Amino acid sequence: MQKPKLPSANGQSAASTRDSAVTDINSMLLRIGRGLDAQNQSLDDAANVTNRMAASLKETAGQAQSVATATEQIVSSINEMAASAEQMTANVAQVASAAAQTTSSIKSVSGSIQSVTIEAQEMATSAQEVTSAVTEVAASVKRINKDSEDLATSLTQSAASIEEMGRSIQSVSGGADDLTVAAEETSSSMNEMAASIEEVTGMSESLTASVEETATSIEEMARSIQGVAQSAEKITEVAGDAAASATELDRSSRSVNELVKRTEEITRRVSRQADEGGEKIQQSIQGIARVSGAITGTTNVMRELNKRTREISGIVNTIIIIAERTNLLSLNASIEAARAGDAGRGFAVVAEEIRNLADRCAKASADVTEIVRGLEDVTREATEASTAGARLAEESNRQSEAGLAGLKTILAGINESSSLVAQIARASDEQIASVKSVSDAITLTLGQTRQIATGAAEQSRGAGQIVQATAHMRKAAKEVSQATAEQSKAAREVMKAAQSTTAIAGQFRKAMNEQAGASAQIVQAVTTMRQSAASTSRAMAEQATAVEQISRESDRLTGKIGRVTKAMIEQARSAQEVTAAADSLRQQSAQAARAMEEQAKAIKDINTGAGDVAKQIKLITRANLEHSKNGVIILEKIREVSEVSAATAGETRSITASIGTLGDKPSTRDPHPEPPGPSGKRGRRPASAPAEKSSI
Amino acid sequence: MASQAETYVLFELAGATYAMPSSSVQHIEMMEHVTLVPNAHRAIDGVVFSRGQVIPALNLRARFGFPRQERTLRTRVIFAQVQRRVVGMIVDSAREFKNIPAASVRPIEQALTGVSGNYLRGLTTVNDRLILILDLEAVLNLDKDESLATSLSEVIASGAQPTPAALAH
Repeated sequence: MQKPKLPSANGQSAASTRDSAVTDINSMLLRIGRGLDAQNQSLDDAANVTNRMAASLKETAGQAQSVATATEQIVSSINEMAASAEQMTANVAQVASAAAQTTSSIKSVSGSIQSVTIEAQEMATSAQEVTSAVTEVAASVKRINKDSEDLATSLTQSAASIEEMGRSIQSVSGGADDLTVAAEETSSSMNEMAASIEEVTGMSESLTASVEETATSIEEMARSIQGVAQSAEKITEVAGDAAASATELDRSSRSVNELVKRTEEITRRVSRQADEGGEKIQQSIQGIARVSGAITGTTNVMRELNKRTREISGIVNTIIIIAERTNLLSLNASIEAARAGDAGRGFAVVAEEIRNLADRCAKASADVTEIVRGLEDVTREATEASTAGARLAEESNRQSEAGLAGLKTILAGINESSSLVAQIARASDEQIASVKSVSDAITLTLGQTRQIATGAAEQSRGAGQIVQATAHMRKAAKEVSQATAEQSKAAREVMKAAQSTTAIAGQFRKAMNEQAGASAQIVQAVTTMRQSAASTSRAMAEQATAVEQISRESDRLTGKIGRVTKAMIEQARSAQEVTAAADSLRQQSAQAARAMEEQAKAIKDINTGAGDVAKQIKLITRANLEHSKNGVIILEKIREVSEVSAATAGETRSITASIGTLGDKPSTRDPHPEPPGPSGKRGRRPASAPAEKSSI
Repeated sequence: MASQAETYVLFELAGATYAMPSSSVQHIEMMEHVTLVPNAHRAIDGVVFSRGQVIPALNLRARFGFPRQERTLRTRVIFAQVQRRVVGMIVDSAREFKNIPAASVRPIEQALTGVSGNYLRGLTTVNDRLILILDLEAVLNLDKDESLATSLSEVIASGAQPTPAALAH
């Protein structure tokens, strides 16, 4: 690329012919500057794109590696996880074989890449040759154009492949996502399960403890229930006794009340009778007074009668005397008549008749006397009786008075006792009411206590059953605790595995995501590359600058290809590791096969994904091969372009300097031109113009 | 008829009925007042005044050895005349006058006479009533009983003045 510098040097040397030359040089410099600008721009773009591509290839390599490690981790975790999945083993074997295929593909990719690298080096040398054949730039440009068109197509293909790869990576990423999700779900459910198992363990331990506590407390409760039952029975007994006593008390209270009432009634009656008695006594006192009066009257009458009787008696005595005298006279007359003899016979008869009359008179008088005497006796007796009656009446009166006074005292006492009895009756009524309430309460208590006793007995029975059940429960709880502990241990292990699975899946997903992002970037980059290629092609077709762009693109591509190659090598290594991992995975999968049938599906997906990855990697490799082919050429050319640009820049700088010495105009242009490089650092219009010239 | 039947005055003494011939009886009086005379026979209560004469009053209960008796309304004094001597005999009562046939009078048997058999002449029954017929002379036999005779004679001799006591005839 020394050739473009020469005209500049020549121009500088021609500066001695100042005016005309300066103008030409200036215009030329202006054009060179513009061309350099564009070239720099294109170089920048190309460098950027190439860098991006390289970065993305690097990323791809890293991602492939991480895919490999992730796969390994997945496999190992799947080994850990699935203890008995034979199906999975098969799948893993398939994965392994796919990985092996991948590895071999990657190996071939790496070989291809190596050959690409060699070819790229060769292409560089050939590009140098191309450079040397500057005169054949047009043809070369045409060729380059064609190449760039090929490059564009291959880029398109590559882009398509990359897009496909991106899609497949996306699908892998989706699969990985699903896997991650599934793994996460599994892990979370495992976690949950483990947590719940832990909880269950803890709970079962605490359950055991609480069962123990419950058992002891149930036993205590049973004992206390038995105590309660006994107490309830005792209470029932006591309450029964109390009820009986209360009933008896009630009965006796009632009888007492009855007695009190009867007493009250009797007292009332007695009081009434005492009142009546008092009245009677008053009446009898009055009657006695009347009797006394009557007796007095009778006595008086008797006295009168006596007097009369005595008078009668006197009269009768007189009559008797007369009769006696008459008798005596008649007797004497009879004596005289007897003395007279016959003459006195009539007289004697008269005398005898007189004597008979007198005798009858005397006899009657004697009878009268007798009667009067009897009358006198009766009268005397009556008088005596009357007197005695009067005395008795008086005495009765006195006694009645005393009785009345006594009755009054009795009445007062009765009234007092009546009020007392009334109080007692009231108290007894209240007592009955209270006794009744007590009895009711006791009866109620008895009923309730009976119920309690029945309940307590049932409770006691139930408590016994509960105690038995609790013993069983305790045993079962212990067994549960043991089983749960074992389960917990197992679950912990499972959880550990699941966690690692999840972590790996997460990493896998991340890697996949990154891969996806990178592939998208690749797609973008490829698209950009395609555009750049297209523009390069257009530029090639229209201008010579396109060559520069192509060169730059090629340069970049070369760098990228180098990286890709490196990445491919790493990929190959990774694939080998994947293979190795797949082997161990196969071994482990034999253990993991049975338990993780569902995960086998995911692994199948992974397997297919890995197949896809392998496929994609193949495609990438293939594309990269082509990239390499083209890129090496491009790179060389770009290098040449770059060198020429650098030289041009240096010359331009000197020209500018000389021009600055010659005239003031170009002083505004270019302060410090920077050397352009494949690193894509920004340089302003150095040495592109000669390239442009040379290319055109 | 006199030989066949004789009239008697019946009198009673100590529950027994005695009879004495009415011919011996002057008259009968109620026992009014007896005037006691000193040293009289134990059977003579005193003297009584009758029809202007002072007559000794012989208590026949005492004469017969019976216990004396209070004077009553029926107590009578039978004035009898024996050997010209009038004696008043105090009896319990004298109220009847009877005709007693002599045939019905039976002499008192010796066994029955006894102590006082001397003063009875016989006995009879009238209407189943036992009547003792008095031996008036034996009763008034003063010879045998000097003191009595003396008393009687003394009483008669003294001519005891009739007391002015109110005598109801």
